Amino acid sequence: MAGESISVMKIRGLLLVTVPPDPDDLTISSLQEKVLDAMERTQARGLVLDISTVQTLDSFFARTVAETVQMVSLMGGRTVLAGMQANVAVTATQLGLTLGRAETALDVDRAFDRLLAGPTRGPGK
Amino acid sequence: MNEPMQGEFTIATEGDIVTARRLVREAAVAIGFGFVDVTRIVTAASELTRNIYHYAGSGVMRWNVVSDGGREGLELVFEDHGPGIADVDKAMEPGFSTGKGLGLGLPGARRLMDEMTIKSKVGVGTTVRVQKWVKK
Repeated sequence: MAGESISVMKIRGLLLVTVPPDPDDLTISSLQEKVLDAMERTQARGLVLDISTVQTLDSFFARTVAETVQMVSLMGGRTVLAGMQANVAVTATQLGLTLGRAETALDVDRAFDRLLAGPTRGPGK
Repeated sequence: MNEPMQGEFTIATEGDIVTARRLVREAAVAIGFGFVDVTRIVTAASELTRNIYHYAGSGVMRWNVVSDGGREGLELVFEDHGPGIADVDKAMEPGFSTGKGLGLGLPGARRLMDEMTIKSKVGVGTTVRVQKWVKK
């Protein structure tokens, strides 16, 4: 389980990262590094984080995601979180989590539409 | 001698946080919690387990079924012999943190569970007890 491998794919100028269902802290930290490295290397315009299988979104995960969104933004890219499960959304809200300036979409397909449609900033700012 | 609904688990590494989440998920499902409540309980356990790992280095999580006047629930106890919490009321305020966290761990876990009690003594350790009842 420790340090699960995460693949970063570039599709139509955007990075797609699928977060595993129950990642440990190390995996989440390495996800951030991989994403930033790939942003630089591939000159992607944005990032889609597929969290549709994620079962537990706790404060460490949320903080790392919010930081990643901020870092990607500094590099000129936008991030869309795709596919948060309803039970995870309920729990994250009750826990008091905010995900910074992350935009969200119901699924990966809509996340791509959103990022490819143009530079409009979503909620949060 | 761990069974799904009762057991004890030592937290000493970062990877143990994931194992603790899995054990709590199995217990919550076995007791009959709904999907959203299982997520709430597992998330609270994740916060409290991480607190042990980050602040005390190691500790123990215990879980068991509790009943009270016909209702059933899950009780989780997190016990460590770490530095203790100087001001428990302060630690319960959202946004207060002495570490690198968001300060959401304790107040967040309290919101996700039905009941929470904290006993802590500086230099001795901390025991956090949380309960959640199955909705009939």
